[in-house]
Amino acid sequence: MLTLKLPGSFQTPMPGQFIMVREKERLDPLLGRPFSIYSFERINDAVIVEILYKIAGKGTSILSMVGEGGLLEIFGPYGRAFDLFPYFKKIVLICGGIGIAPLTFLASHYKRLTDAGDVELICYLGGTGVERLVGIEKIKELCSGVFISTDNGSMGYHGFVTEMFAHDISSYDKEKTMIYACGPRPMLMTLSEMLTMNPLPCQVSLEERMACGVGACLGCTIEVKHREGKGVYTRVCKEGPVFNIQDIAWG
Amino acid sequence: MIRKMNLNDPCKPKMAVNIGGGLIIKNPVMTASGTFGYGEEYAPYCDINRLGAVIVKGVSLEPRAGNPPPRIIETPCGMLNAIGLENPGVKIFIKERLPFFKQFDIAVIVNVFGETLDEYKQVVEILSDTEGVHGLEINISCPNVKKGGIVFGTDPDMAYEVTKEIKGITDLPVIVKLTPNVTDVCVIAESVQEAGADAISLINTLTGMSVDIEQRKPHLKNITGGLSGPAIKPVALRMVWQVVKRVNIPVIGVGGITGARDALEFMIVGARAVQIGTANFINPCATVDIIDGIEDYFEKNNITDVNEFIGTLHEER
Repeated sequence: MLTLKLPGSFQTPMPGQFIMVREKERLDPLLGRPFSIYSFERINDAVIVEILYKIAGKGTSILSMVGEGGLLEIFGPYGRAFDLFPYFKKIVLICGGIGIAPLTFLASHYKRLTDAGDVELICYLGGTGVERLVGIEKIKELCSGVFISTDNGSMGYHGFVTEMFAHDISSYDKEKTMIYACGPRPMLMTLSEMLTMNPLPCQVSLEERMACGVGACLGCTIEVKHREGKGVYTRVCKEGPVFNIQDIAWG
Repeated sequence: MIRKMNLNDPCKPKMAVNIGGGLIIKNPVMTASGTFGYGEEYAPYCDINRLGAVIVKGVSLEPRAGNPPPRIIETPCGMLNAIGLENPGVKIFIKERLPFFKQFDIAVIVNVFGETLDEYKQVVEILSDTEGVHGLEINISCPNVKKGGIVFGTDPDMAYEVTKEIKGITDLPVIVKLTPNVTDVCVIAESVQEAGADAISLINTLTGMSVDIEQRKPHLKNITGGLSGPAIKPVALRMVWQVVKRVNIPVIGVGGITGARDALEFMIVGARAVQIGTANFINPCATVDIIDGIEDYFEKNNITDVNEFIGTLHEER
């Protein structure tokens, strides 16, 4: 986890939005890296933002070496946020690994509704092994039920998070349930197939390589199902990163 | 056509430059095509009114979906892209994107792309009848599309023909954007000058490639892409220096400019203006920061007019 202290002028983000992070003055790696917001808090004149990351390449390994008090360049918040639906009775979060980040931030926005007893929050959380699971304590505070799976069986259900969810899927009422998911692409593809057979509404947050984060470079496009007057490709940074799962052409 | 300039502060250095075809811009910093969208994307983060000009993302006659993803990959101090000129087509551009610029006092230059000579001409004809377009940049250098683009930019005769034909049908200033993917860029530069180009911009991206060694697959779906960013700056600077010596029309320097120092280097070798590309991606205010940096440098060095500074390289060491 990385905790960032930002000036008070930083706009309040909505869950699902992201920031671009880069080390100032550094030209290699050149591009900022997009990170979903994990938590946001205003304290006096400052803003505290937390992000979760996993070391995946040059950009993230350099981030891991930025010590306490190090300076970073942050742009954002960017992108389309999750839609919040107060009329659904059950909110189901399906997280793969650090996909938990935007969904934890989302869960904190539903908290007022859950405290009032109007909404129930349930989380399915999966990872390759117990050492790869982060944020369990925090999500447990926000959800009434947290179900954990690991690919190697080191914690909870032995298997993929989607397999674990498949056991329960028929118990959710499609009129009353809203699903939110974030995780690796194969996980989201499996979920997408499951939801064609058991149609429950679902929004996903996607991750793509990005250059600008604001919709200018057209580098982060994905294929979407063709609609009248709309292009074949759409920008993850601008029209996303949150999409309705059925709009994506997984290919 | 003279656009409003910063004349109110006599202490500030004069920044206006003539980039050819009668087009005077209020300072020598513009955005490079394809890196600033259609302006709107950056408007919340960058004071567009400060810019000398905006060159918008290339437009073609018909809408283009662009290349399948993945379209970009980062490389050391740079990035490869193979966007494939995704754009809504000239008609939708004029109807839906161009009006946004009415609120600004800047030059709007439209980058034009065609798969055939006839397509280039049709786009130019449409834009020439459009209010709010102050200049054209002819893209004969895109490395990421199968037809058109670079095909015209690597052959001096074809570069001549497309420039000549376009000049014959428009009164707008015509900038021709050259590719570095040739043996001698000066031959192409001379060719487009002879055909009547008002200015030359260079360089477009260098064709490159990157491979994922785990999967043994190219990182880009298109296999090859165009390299941009600080990695290409020395190549761009060398080519601008060469071309400036060989033509007498204004030359606009593009390629890896990330800060004011880079922009000043291009101007010293003779670039009349500069375009900022990939730097916009890493800092939405890059253009404005560069304008401020150039002004600071001029003030510190007692340069009162940018035109005194352009082309002042001392070649003897």
